Amino acid sequence: MSVAFTSIKGTTFYNSRKAYAGFNLLTPIEGEGVWLIDMMGELVHYWGMGYRPGCYGELLPNGHLLYQGKIDSSPLAHLEGAGGILLEADWQGNVLWEYRDPYLHHAFYRMENGNTLVLKWIVVPNGIACNLKGGFSNCDDSEEVWSDCIQEIDPDGKVVWEWIGHDHLDPEVDEICPLCPRTTWTHANACVECPNGDILVSFMKTNTLAIIDKKNGHVKRRLGSGEFTHQHSPNILDNGNVLVFDNGFHELYAPNVMSRVLELNPNDGTIVWCFGESNERHLFYSSTMSSCQRLPNGNTFICEGTWGRIFEVDQGGELVWEFVNKFPSFDASPTESKSSPVYSAYRYGLDYSGLSRSIRKVGQRQISPAAAKRDDETAQSRSEIAGY
Amino acid sequence: MTINVARTALKGVTFHNSLKTNRGFTLFCPYGYSPFTDACTDVWLIDMDGQIVYRWPMSYLPGLHATLLPNGHLLYPATTKSPAERKAPVEAGFIGYGDAVFEYDWDGNLIWEVETPYQHHDVLRLSTGHIMYPSQGEPAGLIPGQVAAKWKGGLHGTEVDGTKMYSDIVHEVDREGNSVWDWNMYEFLDPELDAMCPLEKRTEWHINSLWQCRDGSILVSVRNMSQILKVDYPSGKVIARYGRGQISHQHDARELDNGNILCFDNGPHRYGYEPSYSRVVEIDPDSDKIVWQYKAPLASDFYSGVTSGAERLPNGNTLICDSVPGRIFEVTCDGELAWEYISPFMGDRKDANTYGGKMFRAHRYPYDYPAFKGKDLDPANFPWENRLFGPSAWKKNFSPCIF
Repeated sequence: MSVAFTSIKGTTFYNSRKAYAGFNLLTPIEGEGVWLIDMMGELVHYWGMGYRPGCYGELLPNGHLLYQGKIDSSPLAHLEGAGGILLEADWQGNVLWEYRDPYLHHAFYRMENGNTLVLKWIVVPNGIACNLKGGFSNCDDSEEVWSDCIQEIDPDGKVVWEWIGHDHLDPEVDEICPLCPRTTWTHANACVECPNGDILVSFMKTNTLAIIDKKNGHVKRRLGSGEFTHQHSPNILDNGNVLVFDNGFHELYAPNVMSRVLELNPNDGTIVWCFGESNERHLFYSSTMSSCQRLPNGNTFICEGTWGRIFEVDQGGELVWEFVNKFPSFDASPTESKSSPVYSAYRYGLDYSGLSRSIRKVGQRQISPAAAKRDDETAQSRSEIAGY
Repeated sequence: MTINVARTALKGVTFHNSLKTNRGFTLFCPYGYSPFTDACTDVWLIDMDGQIVYRWPMSYLPGLHATLLPNGHLLYPATTKSPAERKAPVEAGFIGYGDAVFEYDWDGNLIWEVETPYQHHDVLRLSTGHIMYPSQGEPAGLIPGQVAAKWKGGLHGTEVDGTKMYSDIVHEVDREGNSVWDWNMYEFLDPELDAMCPLEKRTEWHINSLWQCRDGSILVSVRNMSQILKVDYPSGKVIARYGRGQISHQHDARELDNGNILCFDNGPHRYGYEPSYSRVVEIDPDSDKIVWQYKAPLASDFYSGVTSGAERLPNGNTLICDSVPGRIFEVTCDGELAWEYISPFMGDRKDANTYGGKMFRAHRYPYDYPAFKGKDLDPANFPWENRLFGPSAWKKNFSPCIF
């Protein structure tokens, strides 16, 4: 344990002039629910979901929380990112919709048409499994290999579209990282609907992002080619670019200890923006989990998963807000201090439709006109806690 | 302006349980960071409170760590040449080359020096007064093409000029600088048994520590093979291999008094999908099993993917240099934290690349270590250094910065 690195929790830094004010939603992996906090790190709301996360929850524009829980009895519960139950709950936590499938894992995506994209594991036929390249096997070669299936589920729980990984992936091209076990082939950890209807998927073990044609299932494009490793949380920006968290785990040559957040041009994979190339690379690293989000004012909101650190940087990479997870239980005793990992986090602006009006008022007070005024008078204000 | 307030706010000694520590002075040498304009870097000696009790300013970067000899002299391998002057054919993918080893007395006077071309990472002082060091990139280290082609592991196609792979050579030189023993490792290794890590370039093997055991054999830590070799001296035969499949890119392998082997298991290229973590392991050489380890309560809270080291202290505690974040800490045999120090000498100075301020290893010398006999170790001798970097320079409690 470390006193210096794990004993500081809560909001540690807030530049109210540059940050994009709002509320932060986070799902600690050790808990059974989702926390909404304000910019000062104070708890605003908690949804207890009764299931450990598999892996996160998010707040929909209609004010409902969509959450995947982990079913411990599911046959693949031992795999990283295993889920099994999708729950949609209102503000009070009443479950309004539920969808179960023991093979669900990692991610889901609520589409424009109200349907939901889900990821699930599916067995790779033997004929294909034996041709897979890369990875290592744990002595028992007879073990099943699981690839990914993406399904679109309608509100009645009916599967209306399906994409089966091993029908469209190429064992020659989609090679498993040599340090990863062959129990799973691609190990998807995110799926998103593109504006043109294509599906963007993150394949963690092959270090690629793939764009899938919704009509025929073809893999139209693969992004990656050694540029990032074991990435998470791709999302499509308003300018059409893709923002992704490059964990940097199992990286080639292992010279550095760092993660990055990359903005990629989806047409040629070039990097158009990057956070994490600073001279303090080691201060930003999460080998697994993690998320990133571009905010309306151009800032980037990042969840450094293993450390449970959530922070916001401006376009120049300057830190403008930082919070270290203090939930579910922060023991103040320094001999017990350790990090509380968070799978992913989201920032919702004060005008987000999913937030109730009364909550927004709490947020408004934190924009802190007093602090802004003080800044005009004196730039060096390292003041006491502003707000309420 | 830092990108991480929570992990940089506290500096200096952040924890000390004086009932549990093996007290003494701690020596460390930041890589290429000195707050003083006349030095390239400094070797620092601090007490248990983090007070600076001695400082040796250095005009060259370390290659890679300083040791205090029992007679009070400082052994300091140094980088005196630029990469271009050194003409090493292996792309310097790491920092850590040295070109000469210096021995200074307590007052900083140069007592002895020897040229050590292509030296890197470690220098071992033998009881005979000779030194032993690994070298890399010299022409003799070029592995013959047929042998290199047979070598297992690594990323094919990454060889130097497409085909060349270099082995390390361990040299022993006497006080006059004459070479008395050379061990060219590829002649003694096995292309199957000594396969490389699958995610490393097939350019070099990367020894990062040497240690002489009581029976005279040499422990050699080879990073890119993720294993420790026990090499018979002087025949050079590999008599044992430790850690394969259990450790990853380890550093600082050393024999303990109980005969076990202690090393810092960095862990960047572990098999599987556990979040990155480092640990310190003690391996029983007879069974090649791990018999003791230190991991953080949440394993990923302690991770240094490169460099670092660990040493067993007389009372059974272990001093750990968690190099990348600049932390030196001491744990009891039960894994309880006894002492923690965060180096304030971090940042980019003196062309230190991204390694600015990290220290390769740290050493704890007990109060009764002969080197300290008759020495004035009053922190008051370093008032300015202590005002800037001593205990009074750091806030004990963190308060958030909100404006």
